[in-house]
Amino acid sequence: MTAVVAERRGAPDGGAGRAPGSAGARAAARAGRVLRGLGVPGVLAALAVLWMAVAVLRPDLLAPGDPNAIDARAAFTPPGADHWFGTDESGRDVYTRVVHGAAASLGIGAAATAIGVGAGLVLGFAAGLGPRWLDAGIGRVLEVLFALPTLVLALLLVAVLGAGVEASVLAVGAATAPGYARMLRARVRSVATSGYVEAARLEGHGRLTVLRRHVVPNTLWPLVSVATLGIGQAVVWVCALSFLGLGTLPPSPEWGAMLNAGRVYIDTAWWLTVFPGLAITATAASLTVLGRRIGAVAS
Amino acid sequence: MPHALRPARARTGAAIAAVAALALAACSSGGDASDDAATPQDGGTLVYATGDAEPTCLDPHVGGNYPQALISTQYLEPLVGRDADGTILPWLATEWSVSDDQLTWDFTLVDDVTFTDGTPFGAEAVKANVEHLQDPDTGSSTGYLAVQKVESVEVVDATHARFHLTEPDAALLESMSQQWTAMQSPAGIARGQQDNCAAPVGTGPFIVQEWVPQQQVTLVRNDEYVPHDPQAEHDGPAHLDEIVWRFIPDAATRYAALRSGEVQVIDNPQPDAIAAADAGGDITHVDAPRPGSSNRIELNSAQPPFDDVRVREAFVRAADPEPGIETLFAGTATRSYSPLSSVEPTAYGDEELFGTDVDRAEELLDEAGWTATDDEGYRTKDGQRLTVRFPVSTNQSVAAEQSLFEQIQANAKAVGFEVVLTPTDLSAWYAALGANEYEAVSAPYTKVGPDVLRILYHSDGTVPAPSGYFANHAQVRDPELDDLLDRAAATTDDAERADLYEQAQRIVLEGYFILPLYDQQNHFLTRGVTGVRTLDTVATPTFVDARLGS
Repeated sequence: MTAVVAERRGAPDGGAGRAPGSAGARAAARAGRVLRGLGVPGVLAALAVLWMAVAVLRPDLLAPGDPNAIDARAAFTPPGADHWFGTDESGRDVYTRVVHGAAASLGIGAAATAIGVGAGLVLGFAAGLGPRWLDAGIGRVLEVLFALPTLVLALLLVAVLGAGVEASVLAVGAATAPGYARMLRARVRSVATSGYVEAARLEGHGRLTVLRRHVVPNTLWPLVSVATLGIGQAVVWVCALSFLGLGTLPPSPEWGAMLNAGRVYIDTAWWLTVFPGLAITATAASLTVLGRRIGAVAS
Repeated sequence: MPHALRPARARTGAAIAAVAALALAACSSGGDASDDAATPQDGGTLVYATGDAEPTCLDPHVGGNYPQALISTQYLEPLVGRDADGTILPWLATEWSVSDDQLTWDFTLVDDVTFTDGTPFGAEAVKANVEHLQDPDTGSSTGYLAVQKVESVEVVDATHARFHLTEPDAALLESMSQQWTAMQSPAGIARGQQDNCAAPVGTGPFIVQEWVPQQQVTLVRNDEYVPHDPQAEHDGPAHLDEIVWRFIPDAATRYAALRSGEVQVIDNPQPDAIAAADAGGDITHVDAPRPGSSNRIELNSAQPPFDDVRVREAFVRAADPEPGIETLFAGTATRSYSPLSSVEPTAYGDEELFGTDVDRAEELLDEAGWTATDDEGYRTKDGQRLTVRFPVSTNQSVAAEQSLFEQIQANAKAVGFEVVLTPTDLSAWYAALGANEYEAVSAPYTKVGPDVLRILYHSDGTVPAPSGYFANHAQVRDPELDDLLDRAAATTDDAERADLYEQAQRIVLEGYFILPLYDQQNHFLTRGVTGVRTLDTVATPTFVDARLGS
């Protein structure tokens, strides 16, 4: 977890600003460059993320069964041909639940990241481009929020909002927003004072045009990499909340909730915890690798 | 051996210090600590790890739940005891008699007992305790309901107390055998609720020394203990120096602590751990089903959709808990068809009423007008979805039970019920019940004797006790049932009482107010300790006879 945070905080800053390309040929060239830049681990991670995207959007393609269908007498069946990942304490198919759980875990993680990035954008741009007093005000608030570890902040928000899916999304989103806000503020500042922006201004373009054509694109491109890393991290937070019983309600096959339910049977039925645990790890790892590679390509 | 090497405790008697010093000496001279553990020995610290909720108050008069009964058994004693057959035995009261009109009870009390603060035990103390239970400021629910029919307690002389009743109460002795009505020092009570909650003063074998919230309570031996426990196996104070009562909510952690020797007794073990202990090894299983009610799901009959008996029956017919009980509980729980615990001789069950019949459930729901289906597959009526809110107290349900509820949720969904399971902590759970925001709930209720039926199903039970808690969660309001329960409580004829209670149970079962599941599971696992037994009153363990070693 800490490694991911370090990655995220370390990756974005600095990097030379580049004027955005506009022609189609340039875009294609960039795509080729991106693929080469990703390398083998990056492509593998991208494939894993693609697989997860399918699991989120069309889980029935990967696992046609009902993730909540119980069969009490078939409880605790070890992994085998009939049940690839075995069955849980109520005889539910663990593979089907892990696949369908992607929507909950990854979906909530992505939604939370969207909220975090959205709030971070508003705050970061306001602080980076706004008047000095606004920058100072936002800066102080962010410092206070940074004093609390992300998970503690999320727990605090869940305690106020009450447990549930919406609360998890909001809590993780709000808890990650300060990180994005600070990163974006620094980025906006460095782009806004860079030579090409200065040059554009001297050419006589208006403030808004300069913002739209130069500042925004060059600030947002690194955000793609940071947000990708952020989703991986948010999935971990979301699963942590569910593991503590503060996320989705039963019988939702959310990965953290599955880990929590399987935990008491860890002596007798390892597959109840290993497979959802692997799903969380694979998600966080592939999103981290992908995010880092995108970050490397971007710079 | 952590028990022998603990630093000397402050504020304990010289005798304890001497024993501790001896134990230390024995340990350090013996060298090999495991030798000491091999044979039963006096002294030492027993560590008990509980999975029940940590009490917010150690005085079981306040509120009155099972976690309070568990720990207070170590420091508070009741007026009377009870054996496995249900016969009432003398304890702090040596004998008793009832007047012909059954409105006056005379109790003769022991004369050689003092509370651990030096206050003598006697009729004044009995009077103060009953008044404490009835004082609205105490916020009692369980004890309050148990002494509801006591109008006043008269102090005849130091060792004679006379109870004046407003109406006959055949359950009075059973009520006074419980921890929730146990005797506390009047001087202790007079300190005020905050102090008394932190360290109630009783006559039991141990004394509350320190409570570190969210962590543990330290209990030290009462050296002046005068045993009147009718089932105690030895005379004199407890063998143990102290008990450390730890709160470990997680079952797997508790079991690991037991296996590593960090603790000697755990409660609420997982079914697979119980099955493993039964199969042999150095872990001993103590099975003590709680008296009073069985574990059941109560259906709130006061509001839609369960105000319609057909919808209640449909839910019961669709639930199909049987296969889950078999697999989740690994053979450690037996299906119940009665409102009462199997340890109650008057328990009546009817298996016929609870057979799973999905077609019948569908028919009943159609008849009740829940004919439309929404796009998620749930039945609706007048645009309202057939929703059952089911708050689950994770403090009061082991993991296996929560899984069973999920299975019931899935089975009920098959006929069109949307069951919303909400796992909560105890305070949020009480809040949901108090706000009437539930259609189904599983609330354990322990009380000695079949009078628990009055608490749970008499219309009086829909009125909250001073604590705000009401026990009739099914919200049954049936004059015929009330009459049967009132008559049962007023008769001292055992056969007549049993017959009346059978009729009452039939009404509860045939009205589909509840779905009985199994006895209230009350298992303990012990390792490295002997002499642990459970009381036949509320099935709590007592450690007065316990010794470390095996």
